[in-house]
Amino acid sequence: MKKEFLVICLLCIGFALFAGCTEQQAATDELKIGVVASMTGPASTTGKDIWQSAVLAADEINADGGVYVTDLGKKIPIRLIQGDDESTREGGQKAVSRLITQDNVNFLVGGFSSAVVSAHQSIVAEHTVPYIISGASSSAVSRRTDIDTSTMFFHRPNAEDSAEAIMLFIDREMRPAINDKFGFSADRPLRLAIIYQDTSFGTGQRDAVHNHIKNYNLPIEVVAEASFKMGESDFRTALTSIKAANPDAVYTVTFLNELVPLIQQGRRDVGLDTIFFAIECNDDPDFYKGVGTYGEYMMLQSRFSPYAAPKETESAHTAFIQNFDNRWNGFPGMMGVATYEAVFIGAQAVENAGTLNKDAVRDALNDLEIPQMIEVMKDGTIVFSDDFRESKFDLYLAQLKWDQDAGETRPVIVWPDSLKETDFVLPDWYTPGQG
Amino acid sequence: MAGGIDVILQVLIWGLYAGCIYILLAIGLNLIFGVMKVVNFAHGELLMLGAYITFTFYALSGFNPYVLLAASVPTLILAGIIIERLCFRPILGTGKLNEIFISIGLIYIIQNAAALIWTDEWRIIHSPYEKITISIFGVNMPLDYLIIIITTILILIALYFFLRKTRLGKAMRATSQNRKGAMLMGINVERMDMLSFGIGAGLAGAAGTLWVVSGQVFNPYMGSIPAIKAFAIVIIGGLGSIPGAIIGGLILGIAENFAIFTLGGAWKDAVSFIILILVLIIRPTGIFGESAE
Repeated sequence: MKKEFLVICLLCIGFALFAGCTEQQAATDELKIGVVASMTGPASTTGKDIWQSAVLAADEINADGGVYVTDLGKKIPIRLIQGDDESTREGGQKAVSRLITQDNVNFLVGGFSSAVVSAHQSIVAEHTVPYIISGASSSAVSRRTDIDTSTMFFHRPNAEDSAEAIMLFIDREMRPAINDKFGFSADRPLRLAIIYQDTSFGTGQRDAVHNHIKNYNLPIEVVAEASFKMGESDFRTALTSIKAANPDAVYTVTFLNELVPLIQQGRRDVGLDTIFFAIECNDDPDFYKGVGTYGEYMMLQSRFSPYAAPKETESAHTAFIQNFDNRWNGFPGMMGVATYEAVFIGAQAVENAGTLNKDAVRDALNDLEIPQMIEVMKDGTIVFSDDFRESKFDLYLAQLKWDQDAGETRPVIVWPDSLKETDFVLPDWYTPGQG
Repeated sequence: MAGGIDVILQVLIWGLYAGCIYILLAIGLNLIFGVMKVVNFAHGELLMLGAYITFTFYALSGFNPYVLLAASVPTLILAGIIIERLCFRPILGTGKLNEIFISIGLIYIIQNAAALIWTDEWRIIHSPYEKITISIFGVNMPLDYLIIIITTILILIALYFFLRKTRLGKAMRATSQNRKGAMLMGINVERMDMLSFGIGAGLAGAAGTLWVVSGQVFNPYMGSIPAIKAFAIVIIGGLGSIPGAIIGGLILGIAENFAIFTLGGAWKDAVSFIILILVLIIRPTGIFGESAE
């Protein structure tokens, strides 16, 4: 019995030692990047976009030999490892945990839903793995104080940025246009309704809207608010209550699979002849395909569109779309390009750090300053802020117009002036709200 | 919350529509339970299959989705018969735990099969009547909703005549009332099991078609919440009671929508279970339930 016990112990020690040897070898052969994406569940359309764009980025970097690591004196290829968060908090925790503890990734990219990301942030913090988050706009994710977020870098505008862009547009362009067209007095406030996902993503955006109205004393009055559960597909009653409040515009905070039925039900079933605003995570080919004519004249706040290119990054934009189409036979969405850039950002940080050491990579990300790639950045540079490690984008608003040739709507940038292609238009069927 | 009488009427119409989907689901569940005394937890997945069958035939043929009820219902009846024969018949009478595990296992099998065949991505189809609205009592209502309500009524009338006036229907009712007695009277109870499961699945399939035609998105995982609500309706209305399922479905559909309207979207699912708890406290057998159950 004692002999057997001794043999078993020796075997266990032996296995542990061998396992350690194998791990060590894999760590220097390749740069392992974990991609956190919703490959299943309600957000799977966006998850596929994230994964495909990450693969494209990795392929491009590897085609050039890989990532140069000074410590190793050579270039090493990127290996992407998929972590399916299943569009759920629990799925995200499971995926990230596996990526970190079993796959031993060097850093993570991706993350879409704020609720899902916030659930696994503590795992990332515990293991101090650098994480370049390309979604999760809620400030509750980037500015939380209960855990150490120093290894988390947010390559996306936060809720305040999105809300600011839309509120400024509403105040400076839409409100005067309505007052002018319908003969209202110039100081008539705009009547805004908000319909939002009942998660940290949705409440973050809703709060940001209120904050902007209050802090900048904007002549915008929130006349109705309605929330819905994530994954909802029947918005009729919520839209009916919003219609009853007679808004001039409706600010929607949704995922892609929610926005399409919401717009259709709003325009078609409930008869809400108003201007809908949507935020950037919905700028995806599937949105234009799904919403049909009901999306005409609605507004989309964005930083990348498969169908509209800001002049500043037009050639990079066109090249990315072309390469994506060649690789995947389709067009990418906004979340895809953000993740594509995140892979390049992470690779550059590793090169700058000269090592795969996670702390050094994190420090390199803190100090990183590289030219914008496809998305237009403030001052043309990708740099993470000192306080919350958020990068700053030049956001724009596009209005959707029907394209007969495409048989779908297409975005046209109407704001800000620096990126504008044409003027904002109030359609003939538009009905303003009434007090 | 703002609103006049027309707004209330509009919310009522949305509630009636939701109620139609729930009624069809719950009646199917009740039929299966009534005859086989089996609770099919995978019933929501049959709704999902109905949605995808409709989508597939629509994509292939371009036919009016309402006409495709003639495709989705028979397909789901056949699927129901196969499921009963292969999954439930072998374990019938071996214990409730086996029946529960079989139906839970079916949930994952059907969901994953659907994800494999049609992918995880959400889908949507457009009704040919989507741009037509009609005015009822001064409230504008899309024509589709009127068609959905009328279709549901027609299905219920057809079911009523089948169960009351046909030999097979009477045999099914006899089996649900007294299985041993039915056997002694020469009724093939195993055939009744097959038929009840098939019809139950067919009703779920019809609910799936109507779901899709109303413009809601669907994906392989859409069945779980409607199934839970169907169970709640079955308990509210009374186990095995078809009139109970109708009343329960209407109550739930209307209550949910008024909860959204007055309290917000977060209360939509909660209200189902609040009603369930209240009914269980006040009348544990359900509104139309029999104490013998």
